[in-house]
Amino acid sequence: MAATASTLSLPVSRREKGEEERQLVRLAQSGEEAAFEELIRRHQQRVFGLVSGILRRREDVEDVVQQVFLKVFVSLKRFDQRAAFSTWLYKISVNECWDYLRKKKVRPLVYEADLSEEQVSRLDGVVSADQPPASSSDRAEARDLLERMMEKLPEQDRELLVLKEVEGFSVQELAEILDLNVNTVKVRLFRARARLMDVYRRRLHSKPAGPAEGKEG
Amino acid sequence: MSMNAENRNAETSYAACPQYEAALEDQFEGELRGPEAVQLAEHLKSCAGCRAALEDAAAGARLLAIAEPSPDPGAGFSRIVMARIRQQLQTNEGKSIWRPVVSVAWRFAASAAFALVMLVSFDLGRQSQWRSDQSIVAENRVPEIAPDRPSLPANRDEVILMMADTSHGKQ
Repeated sequence: MAATASTLSLPVSRREKGEEERQLVRLAQSGEEAAFEELIRRHQQRVFGLVSGILRRREDVEDVVQQVFLKVFVSLKRFDQRAAFSTWLYKISVNECWDYLRKKKVRPLVYEADLSEEQVSRLDGVVSADQPPASSSDRAEARDLLERMMEKLPEQDRELLVLKEVEGFSVQELAEILDLNVNTVKVRLFRARARLMDVYRRRLHSKPAGPAEGKEG
Repeated sequence: MSMNAENRNAETSYAACPQYEAALEDQFEGELRGPEAVQLAEHLKSCAGCRAALEDAAAGARLLAIAEPSPDPGAGFSRIVMARIRQQLQTNEGKSIWRPVVSVAWRFAASAAFALVMLVSFDLGRQSQWRSDQSIVAENRVPEIAPDRPSLPANRDEVILMMADTSHGKQ
């Protein structure tokens, strides 16, 4: 009985949430600034995650997120609510990121020094046995290593992995945001994880990094 | 790590069967159900490449789990954004589409006013010059030496008188 109640309550609460959001959008469209501010509060973290998943530089991210909400505010009256507000917002965010990268001609972060076998082997525990680093300094180092390995991936793979695995976007959401088929997103994600593991293994089984290998990637 | 995965390590090649990749992703996410799940399970029994790819997906996900999602920008962020929006709107109001037209109109009006002032002052100058010329002419006017032109005779007697008068000096 409890299971029935919970199964019933979940869609209802989602529907109510969706209706509440549509109401907020309508109010914001009629010029209610408080309603728009509430929409920002509800979505700011995901937009932040989405933009930082693509841009990565914190100072760029904040500026671009502000620009996204400004654009949304300006074009809100043209939004007909046929799609979910969040999908529309995320699409604007992605386009804004690409525009920003194109205008600024931002180059991806490049680490001059490549990873040594010793450094990569510190991630062994994480990869083989799901043992996250214990201390905060180890965690910070592991995150830095992961970031540097991610830099070796193609931009599209890196974006998908970060948005899915780190920022928590679903496959469905990613397909809508990036205008891709759901199956395409699944295949790309699956391959992207495999490529990440390729990078990990290459570093792990390579000789100490030399200048020639430093250019690889 | 399995033997297949170890073999793959040396080659670092991707060996999953393309037609099963989407299903493998679903399987990895725990979303594969029904006949597709059965079909994939059968396939996995005989395909080392797909099994290794599935293991890689799990290992990759474990690796990615150490990354942290972006922090919440904080409660003040929405206020900052709203302030920027208001500022932008004020700037846009100043930059309405009529602004260039208004600007040109003001310039045109200023030029016209200037031209009008110039025209009026020129005209006034000319008028005062004409008046002063007239007064000089009036002051310097010499009384006419010649007598007034005689009027025409009104009748016969006057004609005779006139003839007598004009021929007077000759006789």
